[in-house]
Amino acid sequence: MAEAMADSYDGDSEPTTRTLLRRVLDTADTRTPRRRRSARVGAQKALLEPPSSRRLSSPTKMNVRRRSHRVRSFGRLAHVHTSGNVEEQTPRTLLKNILLTAPESSIMRPESVVKPVPTPQVVQSSRRDSSRGSLELQLPELEPSTTLALGLLAPGRRKQRLRLSVFQQGVDQGLPLSQEPRGNASASSLTSSLNLTFATPLQPQSVQRPGLARRPPTHRAVDVGAFLQDLRDTSLALASPGDSLRTPVATLPTDTVLEDTQPFSQPLVGRSPNPGKPAQLLAGKAKKVDAHAVSFPNNSSTISGEDGVEPLQDGVDEEAEERMEESLSVSEVMDTTGTQGSVRTEKSKRHREMSEAVEAKEPEGSSGDEDISGRTASPELASSTTEFLQARQPQFLEPALPPRTAVLSSEPLEPLPTRLPPRARTPGPRPRQDPHKTGLSHYVKLFSFYAKMPMEKKALEMVEKCLDKYFQHLCDDLEVFAAHAGRKTVKPEDLELLMRRQGLVNDQVSLHVLVERYLPLEYRQLLIPCAFSGNSVFPAQ
Amino acid sequence: MAFSTTVSQRKHIKRKAPRGFLKRVFKRQKPHLRLETRGDLLVHLNCLLFVHRLAEETRMNAFENKCGVIKKEHVQAAAKVILKKSRG
Repeated sequence: MAEAMADSYDGDSEPTTRTLLRRVLDTADTRTPRRRRSARVGAQKALLEPPSSRRLSSPTKMNVRRRSHRVRSFGRLAHVHTSGNVEEQTPRTLLKNILLTAPESSIMRPESVVKPVPTPQVVQSSRRDSSRGSLELQLPELEPSTTLALGLLAPGRRKQRLRLSVFQQGVDQGLPLSQEPRGNASASSLTSSLNLTFATPLQPQSVQRPGLARRPPTHRAVDVGAFLQDLRDTSLALASPGDSLRTPVATLPTDTVLEDTQPFSQPLVGRSPNPGKPAQLLAGKAKKVDAHAVSFPNNSSTISGEDGVEPLQDGVDEEAEERMEESLSVSEVMDTTGTQGSVRTEKSKRHREMSEAVEAKEPEGSSGDEDISGRTASPELASSTTEFLQARQPQFLEPALPPRTAVLSSEPLEPLPTRLPPRARTPGPRPRQDPHKTGLSHYVKLFSFYAKMPMEKKALEMVEKCLDKYFQHLCDDLEVFAAHAGRKTVKPEDLELLMRRQGLVNDQVSLHVLVERYLPLEYRQLLIPCAFSGNSVFPAQ
Repeated sequence: MAFSTTVSQRKHIKRKAPRGFLKRVFKRQKPHLRLETRGDLLVHLNCLLFVHRLAEETRMNAFENKCGVIKKEHVQAAAKVILKKSRG
């Protein structure tokens, strides 16, 4: 009968689960009221067959369903394709298994309602009850399950979402359907239990649905709002501590920067007390203004000083940028530039003298002169700087003030956008020295960082001189190497040779190792050839 | 010394190579020569190593003199040694 049919079905389909289930079912058949399944079975069969005929793709499901029929006594189906054992699983789990594994199916028919998957309800309901009751129970039980099963199984494997939607439909349909048979079935308790059963599996699905279908938007809103707040907080936090940090720190770097930018002004003892620097500057500025009053403020006020801008702007811009980064207020910069301008004016004269002497000589020989001149200048400048605002400036400032101060004042006010190449180098070595010092200051800072110890200003000057010498040696060596290779362009190979001769690169330590150790990633990428997709190497060799 | 540590960290932030400065220096020194694009990065690397060695030597000198502060003499002595080494 049904079993035979089932058996036949079983025989047609896979042997494994089916056979196992079959055996179980056979054993279980005796107990289940399934035997009675006269009408029910017939209906089930009817249901089985057409759907089974449809579901060619999933014979397993059919068997499962059938098994579910039969194995009412047991926890209906241990479903299934996954496990051939007919275990006493909860109906819910079984049902869920079906839902998950069974393919999508068409809408259930009322007949299909009777379909098996009595599993969930069966367990709850007493299978031992009268077949009637069981039938009745099963019918409503089956409804959702059958709907589910049919819906899921019929079309074959589909996405879970579809299955669920279909399942939802089935459930919805099942609910009203279930209620009908409930009405039919007189078992109120059973039906109530059924109702409960229906309810319970439905609830998780209803819960599942929203979870799958949509996310609560409230979370997003809160997150975004919190995120924006966090952004603002962090920005504020960055802004405030950045400024706060800059204030105390700015003194030192600006100190050194100022010192560096001003040629031969390294020993700027006047600025040594870092915390007091801005105060000093301001005080000095005040004094200067009082002392020289006229030109400074006027010149400082003039933002656009095109005349002398270019020659100074080049190097001064860099300095100005550096200072701008670190100084908090433009007024400070103004003050510093004013002071620097005053100092520069002094130095410019000296520079001119020295530059003439320097330029006259060849580059190689000029180093000594520069050193000498630098040395002569530095003590003078030191003395001058110490006196600084008071004595020297009136002598040097006035004649040189107007162009310089105008230029200087313009620098901080328009540091970046007005960066122009130095128009004339003739006005003085300043364009040559200032950017030079600025660049060297980078390495001087690195030196002080590597040293990890406090350093005197004189020591820093000394370091600068050493760097100067070093650069000269470096250029000479590179020239020799390039000439040796018959080239007029210095290539990285020359650099490697130089480092090898210096002893930095040897057989144990290669250039790439050094590159990786000391240079940041961006430069590493540029220097070390690396293979990329598409059979390409960057940088190209 | 809080300032020094903070300042050191701030200085440490700059890891960029002053490529423009390097190119300008080379041009000034050897106007008849050309420097390649990647060459100036290697020059920067060389400078870093030079400065590193110089600083180490200077520190050693200062330690030997049992000074807590680096003085000009330390730097001078160290520079003599390191410059000789870096002659190539």
